[in-house]
Amino acid sequence: MSNLSDRQLLRELRLRLEERKKLDDELTELSRDFQGVTKKLKESEALKSHFISNISNEIVNPFTSILGLSKAILSVEKNDWKKVVSMVALIHSEAFNLDFQLRNIFVAAKIEAGEIAPNITKVNIRSLVQTVIDSFNIISRKMGIDIETQFNIEHGFGKNFYFKTDSEKLKLVLSNLINNALKYSYKDSKVIVKLWVDDDVLNASVQDFGTGISEKNQKIIFERFKRLDSGINSINRGHGLGLSITKALLDVLEGNIEIQSQKGEGSTFTVNLPEAKNIIEGFSGEGNDIFFDEGDEIF
Amino acid sequence: MENKYLQHFLYPSSLFVSREPYVIKTILGSCVGICLWDKRLKYGGLNHYMLPNWNGNDLASPKYGNIAIDKLLERMLYLGSNIKDLQAKVFGGGELLEASTGNSTLIGERNIRVARLMLEERKIPIVASSTGGKRGRKILFFTDTGEVRHKFLEKRVY
Repeated sequence: MSNLSDRQLLRELRLRLEERKKLDDELTELSRDFQGVTKKLKESEALKSHFISNISNEIVNPFTSILGLSKAILSVEKNDWKKVVSMVALIHSEAFNLDFQLRNIFVAAKIEAGEIAPNITKVNIRSLVQTVIDSFNIISRKMGIDIETQFNIEHGFGKNFYFKTDSEKLKLVLSNLINNALKYSYKDSKVIVKLWVDDDVLNASVQDFGTGISEKNQKIIFERFKRLDSGINSINRGHGLGLSITKALLDVLEGNIEIQSQKGEGSTFTVNLPEAKNIIEGFSGEGNDIFFDEGDEIF
Repeated sequence: MENKYLQHFLYPSSLFVSREPYVIKTILGSCVGICLWDKRLKYGGLNHYMLPNWNGNDLASPKYGNIAIDKLLERMLYLGSNIKDLQAKVFGGGELLEASTGNSTLIGERNIRVARLMLEERKIPIVASSTGGKRGRKILFFTDTGEVRHKFLEKRVY
């Protein structure tokens, strides 16, 4: 064994100690990461089981009422036909809700499976927004809520304004925002849907004059399965997926969402959506570009 | 000659696996893409994640490394693969945002680290990789041969 001078020995020891400390630090950091992930997984497990019981209510309850109501209709006496109208309206609103919830659930499943991709076309924004609002017609009328549209886009082709984006995703985003606005509105009030354009960005805001959301809660409403128990309408519907889906869809379209709200005064959700490019950088959209240039590395 | 391939462009936060011969294309900045290839069944899949670990709040989508890796693996096991036949090629994880902001978040590096840790834990060998650096990458993955063509991009991507 070679003889080390005291100095060399000390230096060697110090080096090893430092190295040891570095490894220790790294280990601590990793274990902290790990603990964080474990904790989140546990929380999410708990949320998920809550979610499942929630969701089965969302699906079972509407079905039960639809079945009950249609049975009642079948046994209505001829001279009581007027009753049928109101029952059909109820069936419609239950079915509408069911359809909406299921759509959200399927999209969430798709996002979680990594099977979501933008499907870009030229979209007639005015007619898309109108379609979405019309779909809420019966519900909003029943609640006495007026949905006001402010379409502040001047230019375009005639009265129409075309914008390159994914129409189905945009529809679902708007539907979720409007559905929420209605859900947290008081009876006989209004919801304002506003649209405008800055450069290549389409902006849409949905404003309600309902309960509003406290600053603390504004942070958590985008988390999946989380709901605030402050719905005014006796049955607090929903599974808490709507806004997390909205956020994930906007992620795909490279847009974002902001919220402005004050407790007791209502909320405004604003979406910014950049126009989709035909060409993804480096690749042409549909093009046949698998022939690479010379000098590609092959792995 | 390459006409036998179907094409798929892989967007961030998604993943794609097929038993058919596909060429999967994607663009990576600080994101990481892992090509998993089954050498026995001669097919493969690719994911494309943006952040290392799921935050527990968003949807549990393959935007996050730990989820993207497990989902890709799960899909391949479902399609009949044995884990011992799988091999991985790892790409991306560049640091494209200026590190000059001082407290750099090193997303790219953390993305790569998740890939290495999780693949090692599952005993899937990394047979090739091109990671880190300051440029984006464009890759083509041929799912039947497992070949990956790789090119650096001059333009910035995220």
